[in-house]
Amino acid sequence: MFVEFSSVLRATMLGVQLGMTLALVAAGLTLIFGMLDVINFAHGSLYMMGAYLGVTVSAQFGSFWLALLIAPLAVGVIGAVIEVFGLRALYGRNPLYHILLTFGLAVMIQGLVVEIWGGQSLRIEAPASLAGTVQIGPVEYPVYWLFVLAVSTLLIAAVWLMIDRSDLGILMRASAHDTEMVDALGIDVSKVFTGVFVFGAVLAGVAGVLLGASRSVNPGMGFGVIIETFVIVVIGGLGSFKGAVYAALAVGLVTAYGALIAPSVTDIFLFTMMAVVLMIRPNGLFGATEAA
Amino acid sequence: MSLLDAFDPRETGSSTDGILSNRGRFGILALIAALAVLGPVASAVRPFWLYLLIQILVFALLALSLDFVFGYAGLLSFGHAAMFGTGGYAAALLITHVTANALVVLPAAVLTGVVVAAFIGWFSVRARGIYFAMLTLAFAQIFYVIAFADLPSTLLGVETVTGGDNGIVGLATLETFGLLDLSDRMNYYFLTLGLVALSLLSIVRLANSPFGRVLQGVRENEDRMAFIGYDVRRYKVIGFAISGGFAGLAGGLYVPFQSLAQPQLLNWTLSGELVVMLLLGGLGTLWGPMLGAGVVVLLEEQLSGFAAWEVILGSVFVVVVIFAPRGIAGALVSLWEDPEDAIGNVRDALANYREKVMK
Repeated sequence: MFVEFSSVLRATMLGVQLGMTLALVAAGLTLIFGMLDVINFAHGSLYMMGAYLGVTVSAQFGSFWLALLIAPLAVGVIGAVIEVFGLRALYGRNPLYHILLTFGLAVMIQGLVVEIWGGQSLRIEAPASLAGTVQIGPVEYPVYWLFVLAVSTLLIAAVWLMIDRSDLGILMRASAHDTEMVDALGIDVSKVFTGVFVFGAVLAGVAGVLLGASRSVNPGMGFGVIIETFVIVVIGGLGSFKGAVYAALAVGLVTAYGALIAPSVTDIFLFTMMAVVLMIRPNGLFGATEAA
Repeated sequence: MSLLDAFDPRETGSSTDGILSNRGRFGILALIAALAVLGPVASAVRPFWLYLLIQILVFALLALSLDFVFGYAGLLSFGHAAMFGTGGYAAALLITHVTANALVVLPAAVLTGVVVAAFIGWFSVRARGIYFAMLTLAFAQIFYVIAFADLPSTLLGVETVTGGDNGIVGLATLETFGLLDLSDRMNYYFLTLGLVALSLLSIVRLANSPFGRVLQGVRENEDRMAFIGYDVRRYKVIGFAISGGFAGLAGGLYVPFQSLAQPQLLNWTLSGELVVMLLLGGLGTLWGPMLGAGVVVLLEEQLSGFAAWEVILGSVFVVVVIFAPRGIAGALVSLWEDPEDAIGNVRDALANYREKVMK
């Protein structure tokens, strides 16, 4: 099969862009798992809420930029409500029950979205300043997609620095590693938990607004993205931010190349990749070993 | 709490007592007898109820099959839709191309479930806990995409095999050498009830057999079982394959009843719903998950008329998980054993919730 060089290049750029945006969603999921042991099925719904709130805010005020600012913060508030009134009641109990709780929440949010925005497909209006395309080598590439790539990459880099270098990042990693010890040292772990959950929710909200202007916004997108991000965090190793970023890039690229070769069965490549990784490294690429 | 402890069902209050005791056995028989009477009565009052009952029985069987690996062996399968769906597709393909004879179709569905589960299980038992769950999910989704994109037709160079997005439609119902007219819904109900009862009895027997005890041992302490000398992985694969057979049977019963096999039967949302049925009903109790299946099917059917029914369904999950930690089965048992105590429990749960949220 002959594939033109320019379409490979285009797919590569698309894959990196998709990967970095998915990394925004996956980052929250993996951080939440690492610290709270929560398998958050509602995380895709937070991403979806970001997109829908983005639709409303941008339509109301006619400004994409305002949507990019307000919608993620609003999603953060939703995240806080979920953590405080839902998850908090379950800490210390078998983490299995988080599946039931967050699955229930995901179903609820999907129902609410249909109720409020209807079942049809919507779209966020991308700003006029980012319209059009640019010529990169042989590829004509939309400016908006470059913008998405830039914003996602910058955010991921910032989060990486924060986790790796800042005091807050150290606190987060410490709480994930040994909650009891951090608690004993006089730090209010439950505040850290809420903070991390809200932080993850905001990142997912940003991804929702960014992709809401290039993909369609529909009630199925929450359940759709959650599988993609599960694949990412599992390949990367649950709880590992670094792993999630690498895996997101891999998933983005595989999706983009897959669409080039065999669009209808791209998912098979994804799941095969995950199965192969787990077969070789049963705890993902950067996951904690069983002894830890 | 580590990742691996996370799947320790001891905390969920599952136990093998109860249903295996004499009282439990009488309970099962009484329930089957009650259902045998309920069918005709429900059908007489409103024919639609019989349809619902069959639906409930099929999903109860599916929930039962998952409870056998999840509740007893501690293997959280997030891909049970794979066995259900492939069993269903096997039935659909046989009915369209070969025969609608139940004595061929149903065993074939069981066999398909066993083979698919053995395949998925063999790969997946290499990982543990949530990683095992994700592997089963991955394989199940691969089957979903295969059916959705109708990959077999591309490979075989024929027009259609799985029917892609639309699925295989307009299937004839099962037949039994003309002995039992299965187009009569009442007969289909009794066939399903009989098979579900048989499955339940065999799973109870299996759970209580030396094999079942080993699986339980694996759930309680996998490393210790391995040190004693059990080939833990092999036990897991066999347990998973057995469970897959029952899931395949459920698929084989469901598809001719709906006269439709579609990719949704293989999708992860079904697997997810199934896990919800188990947790909602009460993990590892066998009857709890069947009850959970009934509740979920009823809620979905009854609520789907309302606006925002998903909101109500989701809220039920949320409320049960926060206030009834051991599922509906746990709540019923405590209500049965000591009603006053159960009311006290509710009060405790509320106080507990307030304290945790306010913290």
